[in-house]
Amino acid sequence: MTRQLVLPQALRDEIVAHARAEAPKECCGLIAGREGRATRVIRCTNASPTPEVRYTIAELRRVVEIEDAGEELVAIYHSHPRSPAYPSPTDRREAHWPDTAYVLVSLRYDAPVPGGKGPFGPELHGYRISDRDAVWEVALEP
Amino acid sequence: MGATVRLPGALRDATGGETKLAAAGATLGELIADIDRRHPGFAERVLDETGALRSYVNVYIGEVDARTQGGTAAPVPDGVEVMVIPAMAGGAGAAAPRPRAG
Repeated sequence: MTRQLVLPQALRDEIVAHARAEAPKECCGLIAGREGRATRVIRCTNASPTPEVRYTIAELRRVVEIEDAGEELVAIYHSHPRSPAYPSPTDRREAHWPDTAYVLVSLRYDAPVPGGKGPFGPELHGYRISDRDAVWEVALEP
Repeated sequence: MGATVRLPGALRDATGGETKLAAAGATLGELIADIDRRHPGFAERVLDETGALRSYVNVYIGEVDARTQGGTAAPVPDGVEVMVIPAMAGGAGAAAPRPRAG
């Protein structure tokens, strides 16, 4: 099982920009690449009826397009506008892609925190989530 | 009657790694049964104990969402491409607490 994903800074910036643009709603999308190295970010539509706390990727067909282009789906990303960049119980319960990385971006300290020292900036982390609720960290390499 | 079935990503382990396979049948249920004959256990991955599509499994027959056409009873036009793909969903869940000050 792959425990690392090369995610260049430009792609991290794209994911964070997407998360900021959609806040307070969660953003979501796909990361295409080859052999554990991300090459592009595909913004998707969050089709959840409660997008502030849930995401559902609408454009599932994009996965076939990625494969037809000779690439792989290396990760699925989404944002947690107010909670940590760690798979929530909902994330774990609804994870059905055990061989694909999940990239989470949190904006909880991206804005000044009242009474705190922030902002500290966005947090971005990668995981694998098994269909048995287990979570492993995936190192995001530059 | 038959179709090309695409299994991107998460379901390919149920077909021995095959991501694109030909299957015979006039309905979605028949296609799934045909794949299950060659790859036992496949049907269980996509159907629940009542024989309906699992809630997180999405099927597109051409451009059409099979759930809008009766699920496993959905007709499969000859030569169409069928995509079977698990949902990509989740989220923070119940109203997340605001970060604490300090």
